[in-house]
Amino acid sequence: MPPALLRLGRQLVLVPIVAIASYFLMAALPLTTADDAKRQVAPEVLASYQRDLGLGQPLGFLRPWEKLFRGERLGTSAQGITGDELLWKLSGSVGVGLVALVLALGWALAFALLRARWRRSRLSVLGDALPAAAFGTPVFIPALLLAPAVVERGHLLPELTAAFVISVWPGIFLGTLVADALDTELARDYVRTALGKGLSPRSVLWRHVLPNVLPALLDAVGPVATALLAGSFAAERVFGLPYFGQLYVLAVLQKQVAVVVVATTVFASLLVLVGLAVEFVRLLVDPRAREARS
Amino acid sequence: MSARRIPTRAWVGLVLLVGLGLASWLAGRVFPEALARTCPLGTDPTHPDRTVCELAFGGLWVSLAIGLTAGALSTVLGLGVAMSARAAGARVEHWVLRAVDAVFALPDVLVVMVLQLAGQSMLDAGHAGGLGPFGLMVVSLALVGWAGPARMFRNRLATLEGQEFIAASRALGAGRWHLLRVHLWPSLRPFVLAVFLSRLPTAILTESTVSFFGIARMEPMSLGRYLGTSYAALIYEGGARVVLPAWGLLVLLVLGASLSSRALGAGTRRA
Repeated sequence: MPPALLRLGRQLVLVPIVAIASYFLMAALPLTTADDAKRQVAPEVLASYQRDLGLGQPLGFLRPWEKLFRGERLGTSAQGITGDELLWKLSGSVGVGLVALVLALGWALAFALLRARWRRSRLSVLGDALPAAAFGTPVFIPALLLAPAVVERGHLLPELTAAFVISVWPGIFLGTLVADALDTELARDYVRTALGKGLSPRSVLWRHVLPNVLPALLDAVGPVATALLAGSFAAERVFGLPYFGQLYVLAVLQKQVAVVVVATTVFASLLVLVGLAVEFVRLLVDPRAREARS
Repeated sequence: MSARRIPTRAWVGLVLLVGLGLASWLAGRVFPEALARTCPLGTDPTHPDRTVCELAFGGLWVSLAIGLTAGALSTVLGLGVAMSARAAGARVEHWVLRAVDAVFALPDVLVVMVLQLAGQSMLDAGHAGGLGPFGLMVVSLALVGWAGPARMFRNRLATLEGQEFIAASRALGAGRWHLLRVHLWPSLRPFVLAVFLSRLPTAILTESTVSFFGIARMEPMSLGRYLGTSYAALIYEGGARVVLPAWGLLVLLVLGASLSSRALGAGTRRA
């Protein structure tokens, strides 16, 4: 079997594994109705739990998906969700994530170029301190600091601020990788040859070095997409955005287990799609990947 | 790696970590009254009986305790999985690595939220096996965090086992246990410390985010739960005074762990 198909199969198999594992974990929960002695769930939540998960039915694990495709509501009437609503919420989160990805790529390039410039100066310590500060800052902290200024203004400002907030750490992380790859590439013979033949440093960087750095960037896009989507949970909660991240957190808080099963599987599918898109872009931009495929 | 060969950056990171641990223990647990009297930041709007310093240092102590325990458990689990996979042969190792990749693909925050939902339902029904919110959080973080260490230990073991002194020892008739105890473990020890330190900030940040959502019911409060419970006041009553100390402590903690982890990791690769 060709290696590309093998990789595709390995990525796709994650979706049924997550769907089945999350279903059986949720189906095993010892939920019961309100009891004076123990903190339990409301009768309505328990009824939706048994109904939506198809407990005790053959092929019960397909029940949440069946309801979703029929357009029925999953979960309780007040906090449940239909397939259309799920798609709308997902598109909102993906939109915020895509803007954040573009911003992260901008941060990455800027940080990598700055670190290359700082390398032999007193500012080189910033090259270590900035990633630590960015990593050590959970998304909800800058979100909390910015929320009072943007949360009631609307006009997509909360969405844009959420994208800005969640892009910082992935951007700096990508920038660190790009900076390391830049260091390696700049030390290679072809750079010296190009400079020796009279090309300007800017031209060598943009025409020769950066295309060779691109594969390193692509390797990191998968983990970065995961970080962006996970970061959107906190940003959406703080900025009050009614999208997928907010849906997920509320479903866990309110024990809407069927929604948790579906949302977890959808999230895993999204990550697989990102992985496939990265593989496709790699084939387009990296001749070595095309050669390996053939 | 002897004490003299530990890089300066690693020492700086370790001193920072130990200093923060000591400060949070003394300020948050041993002398909280002294801290409450001298805190220049005043009381927290949502907890009028507590000062910001008390809540921040108390939260740091809880976060640090969770991070240390979960980091240690993840490291031990990862080491166990890697060693078992290496010992079981190529076919089993291949499938174990596939499982590691599958666990690694999902974000920690999402999986910990699902595990917390399951764990708390069991806790409410009295089926948690004696675990409280702290234990549940540690187990959830360890169940999520073992994959990274397992992958790193497996790669490190494969590199070490390919070296000539191991082949020579095997040729002289050394058994698996002898190889592990006499040759592999001494080379692996500093790397174990580096991996453990690299898990520490990840565990603390994941716990902070999940607690911030209000999903984990940690008492006394961790940094994340503290910020999560002050949520409304943070937005409408000048949140910087409450957020900045907690943020500063988190950044220093991560800086200490990443400095020491990276320096120790680089040191073991050179060795």
